[in-house]
Amino acid sequence: MKEAHKKTIIAAEKLTRIYTTGSTEVAGVQDIDLAVSTGELIVLKGNSGSGKSTLLGLLGGLDQPTRGRLVVDGRDLQLASPKELNRYRRDVVGMIFQTFNLLPTLTVLENVSLPGLLADRKYSEVQEEADRFLEWLNIRSRRDHYPGQLSGGEMQRAAIVRALINRPAIILADEPTGNLDSTNGEAVMALLGEVNARLESTVIIATHSTLADQYATRQICLKDGAITEISACAA
Amino acid sequence: MRGLRHFLRYLLWMNGRTLKRHPWRVCAVLLGIALGAIAFTGVRLAVDASLDSFTQSMNLLSGKADWSVVRPGGRVQEDLVAELRNVPGLRGVSPVIMSYVAPTEANQEPFLLIGLAPILDRQFRDWQVLSGDKESRNLWLDLMRRPYTLVLSRRLATRLGRGPGDEIGLEHVHQAKRFHVLGILEPKGLALVHNGNIAVCDVATMQEFMGLHGKIDRIDLRFDNREDPKTMDQVKALLPPGTVVQPATARKDMGKELISSYQLNLSVLSFVSLFVGLFLVYSLVSINAASRRRDLAVFHSLGASSRLVFLLILSEGALLGILGWLIAIPAGRFLVKYWVAGIGNTINTLFVRVEVSGLQLDPWELVLSFLVTVLISAAGAYKPARQATRIQPREVMILEGGGGMAWRGPKVRTAVLGAVLVVAAWPLAELPLVSRSPIAGYVAVFSLIVGFSLLTLPFLQWGGERVPRVLRRLGGVPAFLAARYLRGVDERTSISVGAMVIAVSLFVSLAIMVHSFRETVTLWVNQTLSGDLFVRAEMAGMNQYRDPLPQDVVDAFQEFEVDAELMPYQRLYLEYRGIPYQLEAMALDVLFRNGDFMLLDKEVEEVRDALLAGKGVLVSEVFSNRTGLEVGETFRVRLEGEEFAWPVLAIARDYRTRGGAVFMDFGHFQEITGSREWGGVRFFFQNRDNLEASVEALRKKIILCCAMEHPLEILSGSQLRGEVLEIFDETFAVTAVLLLIALCIAGLGIAGTLTVLVMERSRQLNTLIAIGAGQGQLRRMVLWEAVLMVAAGEAIGLVGGLCLSQLLIYVINPQSFGWTFLYRVDWFTLAVSLPVILATALLAAVPATQSVMRLSPAGVLKEG
Repeated sequence: MKEAHKKTIIAAEKLTRIYTTGSTEVAGVQDIDLAVSTGELIVLKGNSGSGKSTLLGLLGGLDQPTRGRLVVDGRDLQLASPKELNRYRRDVVGMIFQTFNLLPTLTVLENVSLPGLLADRKYSEVQEEADRFLEWLNIRSRRDHYPGQLSGGEMQRAAIVRALINRPAIILADEPTGNLDSTNGEAVMALLGEVNARLESTVIIATHSTLADQYATRQICLKDGAITEISACAA
Repeated sequence: MRGLRHFLRYLLWMNGRTLKRHPWRVCAVLLGIALGAIAFTGVRLAVDASLDSFTQSMNLLSGKADWSVVRPGGRVQEDLVAELRNVPGLRGVSPVIMSYVAPTEANQEPFLLIGLAPILDRQFRDWQVLSGDKESRNLWLDLMRRPYTLVLSRRLATRLGRGPGDEIGLEHVHQAKRFHVLGILEPKGLALVHNGNIAVCDVATMQEFMGLHGKIDRIDLRFDNREDPKTMDQVKALLPPGTVVQPATARKDMGKELISSYQLNLSVLSFVSLFVGLFLVYSLVSINAASRRRDLAVFHSLGASSRLVFLLILSEGALLGILGWLIAIPAGRFLVKYWVAGIGNTINTLFVRVEVSGLQLDPWELVLSFLVTVLISAAGAYKPARQATRIQPREVMILEGGGGMAWRGPKVRTAVLGAVLVVAAWPLAELPLVSRSPIAGYVAVFSLIVGFSLLTLPFLQWGGERVPRVLRRLGGVPAFLAARYLRGVDERTSISVGAMVIAVSLFVSLAIMVHSFRETVTLWVNQTLSGDLFVRAEMAGMNQYRDPLPQDVVDAFQEFEVDAELMPYQRLYLEYRGIPYQLEAMALDVLFRNGDFMLLDKEVEEVRDALLAGKGVLVSEVFSNRTGLEVGETFRVRLEGEEFAWPVLAIARDYRTRGGAVFMDFGHFQEITGSREWGGVRFFFQNRDNLEASVEALRKKIILCCAMEHPLEILSGSQLRGEVLEIFDETFAVTAVLLLIALCIAGLGIAGTLTVLVMERSRQLNTLIAIGAGQGQLRRMVLWEAVLMVAAGEAIGLVGGLCLSQLLIYVINPQSFGWTFLYRVDWFTLAVSLPVILATALLAAVPATQSVMRLSPAGVLKEG
């Protein structure tokens, strides 16, 4: 029954991003066709330079395609204005990075509340929600600490809360375990799996690691900016 | 509202806390801004205090008068009062005599004695004798009944230690006389003029005291309808030739205009300090923005718009401005007090008489200073804010930060823009005055200094290419590396050096200007103000030479048997097309034998004969610039009711402080006016041996013969010339302080930049340590960087200063004050000061070299 309600949230056609350095052109991703349904957990795999981060950047509205079409949650990102992209990043996607990217001058609570404030939500409401998420991810006791006072695992959990605070439809994670030891890596992947399951968010994880495999609905392999393989996984 | 609250939160979280992480850096910038704000606000408040004091005094003195009948260069006939009182349409007519008089007791300052007709004046001015009982309420009537009576303001009574019933001796050139103090003025209205240094007596008493029988200074008029042309025509019809009617506020408007233009000059000069502060803000904000590049990318990636990022960075600059201003206002109190006194004295000497009681905080001035400080600081953050909007959100995906600074080719665009601004300064300077203010001249000055500061970056990069090898031989590897660093220098570093360029340019140009000015004035006082002994009526200057030397004094002087030539002169304070000037008739044959004029573009010999023959006049440079009257054109003047016209023979340098001057021969003046009065006289000794003793003997002789009866001002030539130069030095004391402030701010900029350079390159420096460089070598390298930056700043600043000095001397000074001076570069001061500035700036580098000590070579192993 649940499958019947699923709809396509990401649709990419001939998606291409070319970087130009002087007279040299390098394709970050090239002619990618992809459709992702709501509630999926996709693992992007591939070597360094294969185009995982470029694809994630395009999906996250951090970058725009050179050609092709990318429609996410009904928004055509290639045609989106900078203002629309801001709104998209704020409301539709939540991003998690390998280097956590928490702002060092903000406490954990402030860091995770920031997207809520940028969405012009009431601070007290955002704080309440942040507390709930921090509790869920077991770092509420660190809410008033600064990032520099946290361990890697704690920082990544805080980054996950920040990605979730506006309840986005899509969570994008770029090597979320890249800077973590194996125990923390496993915990983070488990959390992302849980986020996918409990909140029914679409999750896309770019990673070298196999830790996410068990939670994936699909694995997509990239090489030289192109998809080489898509394999369905047991959900 | 919620949006604003959120914005303030971001500002606190992202900017406020970043600032908190670098307290010393922030303190240095705040200090810089505060100094700039102190300079700007303090100077304006100080001039305002004088302006307010002057305006208040003038308003109280003119009271409700609409018009005044005056006789330029002379006094009005008293009979006119009775005739004017018969004019229908005139509500009031009041005769007035005002003069500064001195108490006979030693060491007492002169004060203003106002002679009024108490009954007629009721309609004009607010003044009342302080009364307790019914009897004392009518004391003012006694002013008319009893000769030589007066009422004192309370302040003056306290100062003189006199009260009702006491006697006080007063002197004026005509005589010294004892006055009876009838009472004390209520502390309001007229009693507040000149900060309460006034006394009031009856006009008849004043006439008798000053020997002005049948004459008064002016007649104030009050119309039923101020602009009624019929009444005005009837008034004018009664006026004898040479007597005119002018707005009662004429003196006030003229004085205000003079003070305002002085205020503009000082405001611009003090604005430079704030402007240098802008560079500090730019430096700090851009460093902060660069160090937070990744944070800003994250902020962007979370959905923050470019506009929000822009506003945040801009607000950081504005925040620094607000904090700097908040520090400046209480911290600047001491300096402002000093300026109130200094600027008050200068205005007193140069323009109009003011008595400043203290500082009044004008809310509008505070708002202006707040806005200017915050806007300047926000402007300093503008470029970093624009750059921050270009940070792409995709940068969050990049694992490593930007790393070290990449070498960038010379900024051709910056160099071209800098060159264009430098070149544009000259045509800009030629633009006409705007509302009599040299706005275009100031724009030219800013164009020049900004142009030179923009040339800093290409100059540093060019130097970085060429000097390293030379420096390696001179200072070893540290010097080589420091010079190599210059090759890759970025805009932020060049901006700090640019601030130094501005401060040094200003220093050099002002040093040249003040030196040239002083040299010229010294030459002028020795030639045109030549003379061994000067005698004039007491307070002649303050009373605008309205009271000539008494005839018996003149007769006595002419009968003196001394080995000295006498050069009598008469000075009239007149107006030419609404511009005040002094007509000075001098015995030119005597002057030419003992001194000279300094003419522009002509030799004195070319005009001497025509001058002596009364076939023309000399005009001062100030007069020519203010009126536009050139050589060959006709100067017209009305003397004793008759109009005279003479060609302008030449333009003379003249640095008297109150407006322009026209010079003519005294004999010719006496011939056409029929006047035998002397305003003053100079004595020139023929035998120059033992001059001091001769001067002293003559002084004693004059005191014995005349000064006992007629108070006179007797000054030796050296004394007078010394006083002129003292006034000159006092005038530029404020300038020196402003200059010092600008240099301090620039020094702070260099210190901040160097510290940041060390911190930013900690990885690079750690690598150097890891490959064997000692900390001593690194410290030397940082020191060499400081030397090179400051030396570059000084080199460009020197060239900029030389150009700027030309603008100041040949454009700003003529436009502001009407004079130019002989161009003289003070090489000695520059040779001494520039190394001192270098040494001081190197002291500012000490914190940076100290921070090298804190580096750990293990840092090279860390990422980022």
